[in-house]
Amino acid sequence: MSEAREKHLDELREIVAEVLEVEPEEITETGSFVEEHEADSLRAIEILARIEKKYKIDIPQSELPQMENLKAVYDVVAAQSGWQD
Amino acid sequence: MITLEHADIRRILPHRHPVLLVDRVLDLEPGSRITATKTVSGSEPCYAGLDEDLPTSAYAYPASLLVESFGQTGAVLWLYSAATAGERREGTLIFGSAREVTITGSAYPGDVLRHTVEIDQLIGDNAFMRGETWVGERRIATLGSVLAVVREGIAAGTGS
Repeated sequence: MSEAREKHLDELREIVAEVLEVEPEEITETGSFVEEHEADSLRAIEILARIEKKYKIDIPQSELPQMENLKAVYDVVAAQSGWQD
Repeated sequence: MITLEHADIRRILPHRHPVLLVDRVLDLEPGSRITATKTVSGSEPCYAGLDEDLPTSAYAYPASLLVESFGQTGAVLWLYSAATAGERREGTLIFGSAREVTITGSAYPGDVLRHTVEIDQLIGDNAFMRGETWVGERRIATLGSVLAVVREGIAAGTGS
């Protein structure tokens, strides 16, 4: 894994953990936000809003259903931001 | 400078007595910011049935209602701004969350809450707002992030 990817994943993990009110290390790459952390659509929109703010990007709301775990969030944000990690 | 009286507010918010917690809008800048008041009275339902001989502190206006009143103020700003921009927000207005809330003082019967709210982020049917609540020259609350959403076809009060 590249350093850039590592850094971005850590930043996203931090955001997700803050919104879901858990410790960052509890957020695994493939762990479902809904199944493992009782996330709902309101938490999802909070995660999306914080990411948009931090990276100054617009994420189409149609992407929300896919953003169900950390890896999926990373993939969506990477695509929107043009990350070449 | 846009001001709104209670009759105007009733046309904007779906809430009704006794849970409509915005009395008057002193200043509204569409899409940006709002200042509104809610007068706390001894006849509030939250003071009904309190025991006799309680100290003054028992009459502090509940933080939950203060945050709700702040959220409703933000909703007035959001819905009024949307209407001004020709957008319709159809569905149930829901209080999504309040984060980074610091309560630093209390309001008592006779006090006037003055909320200053600004829109932080708008994402579709979701509005993030932040601001402060004052009583006169005392700031009694700071609200870092309050989320209000409109959702279609669900009963009010379900969070998903």
